[in-house]
Amino acid sequence: MTDWNAMSDAEFRKEVRGFFEAEYPEELRHLPHRPKFCEIEPWHRKLHARGWVAPAWPAEYGGMGLNAAKLLIFYEEQQRWGVNRGRDMGVQMVGPLIIKFGTQEQKDYWLPRILSCEDIWCQGYSEPGAGSDLANLRTRAEIDGDEFVINGQKIWTTMAHDATHIFMLVRTEPDTPRKQQGISFVLAPMDQPGVEVRTITTLSGETEFCEVFFDNARTPRENLVGELNKGWSMAKALLSFERIFIGAPSLAQNALGQLESFARGRGAFDDPVFRDRFAQAALDVEDHAALYARFADQLKRGETLGADVSMLKIWVTECFQRITELMIEAAGPDGGTVGPLQVGNVSVDVLASFYKARPTTIYGGSNEIQRNILSKAVLGLPG
Amino acid sequence: MQSSEQEEDLRLLRESARTLFDRAGGSGRARKLRDAGGEFDPDMIRELAEAGVFGVAVPEDQGGLGMGLAAGGVIAEEAGRVIAPEPVVATIGLGLGLLHRLCPDHPKLAQLIGGEASLAVAWQERGPGGAPAQATCRYAEGKLTGGKAWVVGAAGSQGFLVVAEGDDGPVLVLAEVGAAGLVTNTRAQADGSSLGELSFSATPAEELASGAAVRNALAEAVADATALAAAELVGLCQRAFEITLDYIKTREQFDKPIGSFQVIQHRAVDLNVMCEVAQAGVREVLARMDGETDANTRSRLASRAKARAVTAARKVTRDAIQLHGAVGYTDEFDIGLYMNRALVLSAWLGDDAYHRRAWFDAREEEGAAQ
Ligand SMILES: Cc1cc2nc3c(=O)[nH]c(=O)nc-3n(C[C@H](O)[C@H](O)[C@H](O)COP(=O)(O)OP(=O)(O)OC[C@H]3O[C@@H](n4cnc5c(N)ncnc54)[C@H](O)[C@@H]3O)c2cc1C
Repeated sequence: MTDWNAMSDAEFRKEVRGFFEAEYPEELRHLPHRPKFCEIEPWHRKLHARGWVAPAWPAEYGGMGLNAAKLLIFYEEQQRWGVNRGRDMGVQMVGPLIIKFGTQEQKDYWLPRILSCEDIWCQGYSEPGAGSDLANLRTRAEIDGDEFVINGQKIWTTMAHDATHIFMLVRTEPDTPRKQQGISFVLAPMDQPGVEVRTITTLSGETEFCEVFFDNARTPRENLVGELNKGWSMAKALLSFERIFIGAPSLAQNALGQLESFARGRGAFDDPVFRDRFAQAALDVEDHAALYARFADQLKRGETLGADVSMLKIWVTECFQRITELMIEAAGPDGGTVGPLQVGNVSVDVLASFYKARPTTIYGGSNEIQRNILSKAVLGLPG
Repeated sequence: MQSSEQEEDLRLLRESARTLFDRAGGSGRARKLRDAGGEFDPDMIRELAEAGVFGVAVPEDQGGLGMGLAAGGVIAEEAGRVIAPEPVVATIGLGLGLLHRLCPDHPKLAQLIGGEASLAVAWQERGPGGAPAQATCRYAEGKLTGGKAWVVGAAGSQGFLVVAEGDDGPVLVLAEVGAAGLVTNTRAQADGSSLGELSFSATPAEELASGAAVRNALAEAVADATALAAAELVGLCQRAFEITLDYIKTREQFDKPIGSFQVIQHRAVDLNVMCEVAQAGVREVLARMDGETDANTRSRLASRAKARAVTAARKVTRDAIQLHGAVGYTDEFDIGLYMNRALVLSAWLGDDAYHRRAWFDAREEEGAAQ
């Protein structure tokens, strides 16, 4: 097995770039929407054959075992070439949790299936009454013999209509002194009579998230990950990883690249005011990357990240939004036009980028919640 | 600026326009039309015409109500509140703005006021890079050749008022839908409406006016429409804010309404201030434009209004989504419709960055003239 971390950064970058450029299907570059699995399956097969589905996982579980620096390069090349992340909630979210808290049997069973996409995962955390206040969740899982019986409702479940399994936080102990207690982390199959999925249309007309209803749905008891009633602290343990992922520069960098070619094609750079605004955005992205590297280095040294990692997400999501606003400005009278806009030989879907940027300040812990965290946990402000 | 009698007239006008739009179904009507794939509702056009809406700013001796642009602004605000998809502002500002200035005796003027005709105005052109460019569409010997872009209301209109280059300067001509050599393409917009891209090859058209008068009338009509579009955005902002205010009072997280968190309260206050500033500024502009004859000053005023309204609408509609959380990102909640409509109205006739530049340029020019 190749030890990628032993390579020089330049060698590794060349390797990754070469593979993406040679193998990634041209028609899937810079997809403006979230694909269903069938759309990107041929690409996933190639990645899987090469052992590149899970760059961050340790090699012993079938990952690439990349350290933080190499991982950064991998993601940079991915976004540079417009390579879709695919249906990666298994790899990004549930896999690391199973690796950290799962039993040997769970690892042996689930991890290979995540890599092969035999199982496709969605994240069932949020509920109608449990958004920012996630601990308010009400979906119940009661033990019945060697099964859990699940009743309740999840919402905003991204791509649940194209998933075979859901990893969820459920209430296994109803009356606890604190809401955070009595929550467990369970895995459940979607294809059963007690699970109903309804898609929700977004304001851009896409169907990428869903409501999921549980009416006496069942899952084997062995699908509990970690200890019963201890799901909250496990989910939190994953948060810092999630926050660095969600605070990564890629979305903003990608949008900046699109803005640049679009604005150039449209002649927007003739205007010094626009040049100034573009430069501002470009520097916002560059300096964010520097801050990001600081956190990535911390990971590289094996340190755990503190609450201060939230600042990455705040900065990059708001920067991403400003960049898409600039795209709209550069589009001038086409600023409300749906679909790709052609300029010279590039075509940029300005509104698709704009819509994609909107919810980034809402999901993954809204930016207001991130500011609450920073003000209390980092600045030590009272209240 | 306005007498109390005028103010009273505007108040009554606002009341009746609001009643009319609400009775027709409020913002729910916009959603229904969009879902049905329709651009706008012909019955609504008739009803609006019956209420005199289109003719508000047309002088009385030309068959209008003669209430001026301030009254047009009242109608535009009310249309904005319910995100009415009808091209009300385009008709009042551009279509009628051109006809009443250039050919008040043409039968189309009365038909447009009466809602019996629908005419879209085609005046801008797209350059090779995709951005707006110098006009090159030609009119000679009764025929049009060339193209026009960003035509509001093209999909539902029976004809086009086209500003083209004639042998002796600009001309205003009328081309009927279905005329030979006329091809109309549409580009879908965020709010479900569309913009027309027209191409003419030796398309027969009727000449309505020509010469410098056309250039001046176009500049005035564009200024009117720009200020009215600002008013439409002001109405849209106000309503988007009200919807959001209701939401943060009722949505609970952490066992309290989210509106009880101070950061949310301050955000709401900022949005409210933004709305009020925009409303005051835009209404003042409209009132002043009525008494203003200098073309440069009028366009400076219009730029002031649109710059403010677009900035406000961006802030208010984006923050409104944020304050709604994930439901704000769904199509189910109306707030997304307001953001989509704001995108379209902001891009039309220039956004805030564009108009701040235009405002500065106009101001320099006035300074130089003095
Ligand atoms: C595109 C998208 C995809 C998503 N995918 C998933 C998924 O796959 N799985 C999943 O489980 N969830 C998913 N979510 C849900 C997401 O996690 C929630 O939207 C998020 O937690 C916010 O909750 P909410 O939408 O209910 O907003 P609310 O919590 O109701 O918040 C509304 C507003 O109030 C603010 N607010 C709330 N509390 C406070 C406070 N204490 N102080 C200051 N401000 C506050 C918020 O910041 C926000 O602006 C997704 C959401 C989106 C938009």
